Amino acid sequence: MLINALVTKHGDLGAPKAKLRYLVVQGPLAAEAKPGQFVHIRVSAAFDPLLRRPISIAAIDRARDEIMLCFRVQGRGTELLAQTKAGAMLSILGPLGNGFSLPRSGELVLVAGGIGAFPLYALAQAALAAEVPVRLLWGGENAEFLANAGLAHWRRLDLPLHLATLDGSLGRRGLVTEAWPEYLGLRGRGAGLEDQRVSVAACGPAGMLKDLSRRCGEAGIALEVSLEERMGCALGACLGCVCTLRGKDGSIRRAKVCSDGPVFQGQEVVWDAETGE
Amino acid sequence: MPRRANERSQNGAHPAATAGEKVGTMGRAETLDRGRSAPGAMDKPAVDLTVRLAGITLRNPVVTASGTYGFGQEYALYCPPEEIGAIIVKGLTVHPRLGNPVPRLAETPAGVLNAVGLENPGLEEFITSYLPALRKLPTQVIANISGFSVRDYAALAQALRSDSGLAALEVNISCPNVQHGGMQFGTDPARVEEVVAAVKASTDLPVIVKLSPNVTDIVTIAEAAAKGGADALSLINTLLGMSIDIGRRRPVLGNTFGGLSGPAVKPVAVRMVWQVSQAVDLPVIGMGGISTWQDAVEFLLAGAAAVGVGTANFVNPRAPSEIVQGVEEYCRSHGFQAVREIVGLAWRTRGI
Repeated sequence: MLINALVTKHGDLGAPKAKLRYLVVQGPLAAEAKPGQFVHIRVSAAFDPLLRRPISIAAIDRARDEIMLCFRVQGRGTELLAQTKAGAMLSILGPLGNGFSLPRSGELVLVAGGIGAFPLYALAQAALAAEVPVRLLWGGENAEFLANAGLAHWRRLDLPLHLATLDGSLGRRGLVTEAWPEYLGLRGRGAGLEDQRVSVAACGPAGMLKDLSRRCGEAGIALEVSLEERMGCALGACLGCVCTLRGKDGSIRRAKVCSDGPVFQGQEVVWDAETGE
Repeated sequence: MPRRANERSQNGAHPAATAGEKVGTMGRAETLDRGRSAPGAMDKPAVDLTVRLAGITLRNPVVTASGTYGFGQEYALYCPPEEIGAIIVKGLTVHPRLGNPVPRLAETPAGVLNAVGLENPGLEEFITSYLPALRKLPTQVIANISGFSVRDYAALAQALRSDSGLAALEVNISCPNVQHGGMQFGTDPARVEEVVAAVKASTDLPVIVKLSPNVTDIVTIAEAAAKGGADALSLINTLLGMSIDIGRRRPVLGNTFGGLSGPAVKPVAVRMVWQVSQAVDLPVIGMGGISTWQDAVEFLLAGAAAVGVGTANFVNPRAPSEIVQGVEEYCRSHGFQAVREIVGLAWRTRGI
């Protein structure tokens, strides 16, 4: 849908200098929104900057008709968005995209790199509501980053958290996929028992997702990844935001990140097209 | 056509402004300002919006530009096909194309560079999987064809004749984002004439030729298209440009170069429509940065018989519908009974 939605809350997720923001908007979007979807926001009444900005949905509160959007201020568009005050109206197109799926059985392991944790928060909420066992593996630069990116919110969800930082200032030291390998393979392989089956949902830098895709592929674990790309229309018309997929027969095809995704099966994605290698 | 919110005219606001509020913000202040001269709106005399162009009739002069409205389904929720004059679908080639690597988009001041590279399903898949749905759309559908040789263009035209259900073909001789063909055809008058003649000889559909602005003299190219037998012209395609990421010290686009569109290119497009519509006796579909009804009126006054809305769809998915309403209200409030009366008025002497 295309609506003018009321901004009910807007502020810093952590320390202001981290430039990580949360923004809550109210409207009928919430009734439709699914974890993993995004909205496309007009950030300027003029034509400069021109394009809308895609922002992932970080939390959905159907009772209050609200969705929370989290984003990093990193360019002219998000700088303008960061100036939006509570009480203002925003032109929002969405919710858009396909979203994550919840496993019918077994455990859901969320793997986040940096601000990739944002869309996974809505999925964690949905998993908890559906009584799907869920845990988070989250990697960031350091303890300060994780604190500024909403760690306190995650702690309130009361699910197992496994943190990794590059400098070891919180959790294990290193990349999240390397720091917590025991959750990304061994338990799933040949376990045979329903309740030990694992599926993974992930969002983060392309390099992390590529590594994760390899690990999950080797272990036979289902993996859903949320991709990011520069978007134009966000409706599947302009073909600006494509990714490359490899079918089971080995054939290569393009898919639209906005309307075929942003969530894809990890094993399908041709990562070298994503990482620029 | 359905009208709405004409009550707003009583306090001087323009219907387009009302629609603009619904989606937010597109040019709102501007729209309100310019809408003050709408005295005749209360009586609501009918304005004839129909346009006859290249032998086909459009219910109104607003079409969606190729590559910006997909295949007619993507925008149906926001800007239904029955509210627009015609849909020009995404550029089609004989064989399927994966297009260019990402990034394919780079935002620029009031514009965007794109380098999609003609990603498309190819002729065969287009006919089997896309055409049946396109045929059912409640508007005129124009296919856009691109080739890498004269033979390609002829093959596409041969396969897409009037029994396809299409209203016309738009011949893309101006795509800047492919290595061979595309724009190469559009910059050499002799090649333009050759391609257009080959297409004309292969199809019974009206042929619209889309011109590139990346030429020394667009009038020469337009004349060559006319000589080749074109029934109409559309202009302009995107302007070739590039953008460099100063952090990575590399071009932003995967294809290095891309085509610039959006409000930034509008003055170039208006100038070219002005020149071509006076020099060549063919109807012109004017496009290039049209985002508001005021922009559309400007193109009509410059000599365009119809206007194409492209990049603005990404910003405001309701843009084409709102532009139709705005153009209608402009005609009504200025005493024009038909939109065709204002075509070329900026250079024509009124009354001729």
